Amino acid sequence: MRFFSFHLMPYPGLPSDYDGPAWITCPNEFFDPRLGGELYNRYIDELLYAEELGFDGVCVNEHHQNAYGIMPSPNLIASVLARQTERVRIAVVGNALPLYDPPTRVAEEFAMIDCISGGRLIAGMVVGGGPEYYSFSLNPAHARERFAEAHDLILKVWTEPGPFEFTGKHYKLRYVNSWPRPIQQPHPEIWIPGVGSLETLEFVAKHRYAYMGIPYFHISAFERMFAMMRDACEKEGYVADPLQLGWLVPIFVGETDAEARRHYEEHFWYFVRRLLPGINISPPGYTSVRSAENIMKNAGTFALNLQTWEQVVEGQYAIVGSPQTVTEMLAANIERLGVGNLLGLFQLGTLSAADTRRNLELFATEVMPGLRAAFPGTQLPGTSMPAAAAAPS
Amino acid sequence: MTALSAGTIDTEVGSIEVHRAGRDGPAPLVYLHSAQGEGPGMALLEELADTRQVVAPLFPGFGASEGLAQIDDIEDAAFHLLDVLDQLGFPECDLVGSSLGGWMAAELSVRWPQRVRRMVLVNPVGLYVEGAPITEIFGRAPSALADELFADREYPIAQLMRAMDGMEADPSQIPFELVRPILQSQAATAKVGWNPYLHDPKLRGRLGRITAPTLVVHARKDGIVPRAHAEAYASAIPDAKVADLDDAAHLAALERPAEVGKLVVEHLGS
Repeated sequence: MRFFSFHLMPYPGLPSDYDGPAWITCPNEFFDPRLGGELYNRYIDELLYAEELGFDGVCVNEHHQNAYGIMPSPNLIASVLARQTERVRIAVVGNALPLYDPPTRVAEEFAMIDCISGGRLIAGMVVGGGPEYYSFSLNPAHARERFAEAHDLILKVWTEPGPFEFTGKHYKLRYVNSWPRPIQQPHPEIWIPGVGSLETLEFVAKHRYAYMGIPYFHISAFERMFAMMRDACEKEGYVADPLQLGWLVPIFVGETDAEARRHYEEHFWYFVRRLLPGINISPPGYTSVRSAENIMKNAGTFALNLQTWEQVVEGQYAIVGSPQTVTEMLAANIERLGVGNLLGLFQLGTLSAADTRRNLELFATEVMPGLRAAFPGTQLPGTSMPAAAAAPS
Repeated sequence: MTALSAGTIDTEVGSIEVHRAGRDGPAPLVYLHSAQGEGPGMALLEELADTRQVVAPLFPGFGASEGLAQIDDIEDAAFHLLDVLDQLGFPECDLVGSSLGGWMAAELSVRWPQRVRRMVLVNPVGLYVEGAPITEIFGRAPSALADELFADREYPIAQLMRAMDGMEADPSQIPFELVRPILQSQAATAKVGWNPYLHDPKLRGRLGRITAPTLVVHARKDGIVPRAHAEAYASAIPDAKVADLDDAAHLAALERPAEVGKLVVEHLGS
């Protein structure tokens, strides 16, 4: 079992009278650069603190032109983390490959982070969220093709000697010859996040990568998603390893259940009601029709539709409570979902620096040890997973 | 009113759904639909088919037409339509195009002007006009779009679009059979029109190559394409003029068959 601290780097300062979407068209006059500077530094501190507390890794991700996560370049943050940490895995989950043209840029920057960190990068690759295709005016009907081709190119950059010529449909490069190359050989561990698109699951299974279930759905949606992932691996002729599955979930630990909810609830609602609106826009052609049908089955349980705290608890949209409650709920779900990576969001919405630190401390001291004992080290599967990816548990 | 019958033709990109009716004549009328994918059962076409041959192919991604994977941009669309005319066996035809179909008709005409005898463009997209942007159609609430597409709030499709808004809270309740064709046709529209947004920067400079006398119809209640676009087409095409429709919106070809039909017949002859 590996434990990661995931940071979205949300913007907590939306005006109280603004009720529009947090994405694409959310006016950037709301972004206060001074506050932004404080937030970046504070959020980096929170990620650094996770190493001190014994987490196995930290996660950052990429979103553009929104208040939900002010991290358009996760690689900038990851390079700071690479320099300032010594032990944790640094998971960039991920780079939205179709947004990089040419995508050799991703191969280069990831290799830099891997070098600076001494081989601790986890290379996440994503198609990019629906809103990104509006924010970049990038054709969503080409999203999957570009992703697949960019992926192939990046893997080739890392595993074949340069220079070589690459001639794809979307990228035509005469001289591909990345300096630097990654420390981890043949390449860094690769994670792919997703919301249950069949194409993505099949892609991950085929390459024996790890699949990270994206949060904000009812727990039953995760159950279906991971079952589909195991099926996809079986169709490829092998049994999915728990380390190929990751569950991303907001977590808040308090002294007691009541105290935890009292501290946390308003921040959770800021996140759901202020930062999520607009995230679920699905531009035309972004998913195949058969995947769209599958995703629509889960859409009714998306967190945006939540009205009451009872629904949050029932669907386990966030794991909130005393150390004992959180341990029990997480253990039950780790078992039920069969995942080997727990990606916790310990800061959410407007949750303060002090509350976030206390949350991380309580989790690390009173929850993580019990879970480590309950789910002892898991071996890495397959042959394509590099040995360097082994969890330092 | 002459009902159109459905069939298919084989093209380079795959099987294409075609609706056709009417007597053979020297210049058949080929109708190119908007992003709405109209054609089957369309009153305008049934009226026109009383006096001439009418053929309405559905673009890849619409109806049962295959081959969207092989269409990447408006250039591919133009070559696909040339292929359609070849497969139909039309050395020359009259073109009527609505919105997206108007753009495609213009792209075809600038490349192969000899294939087009006369042409009608109804609220065509396809050009960039400074200061007169085309309204966003992607990612909009159906109810908001309905008012821009249709002049009459009671028009059945407009009512259906307004009803769809309420379903957004729980999309799992929408029958997927209803959603599938919409998703496919939107993907097809995005393929050719996402960026540059519903236009081809090269088109305007090529419009001078069109030889077909062209009528550009502008509906005054069109909430998608400003009149400046009709003027831009008409000023760049050598033999062209603009006709205005008062009580009509963007999908005039669908909603106002009598008025649009009259203009088409006047311009093309019968």
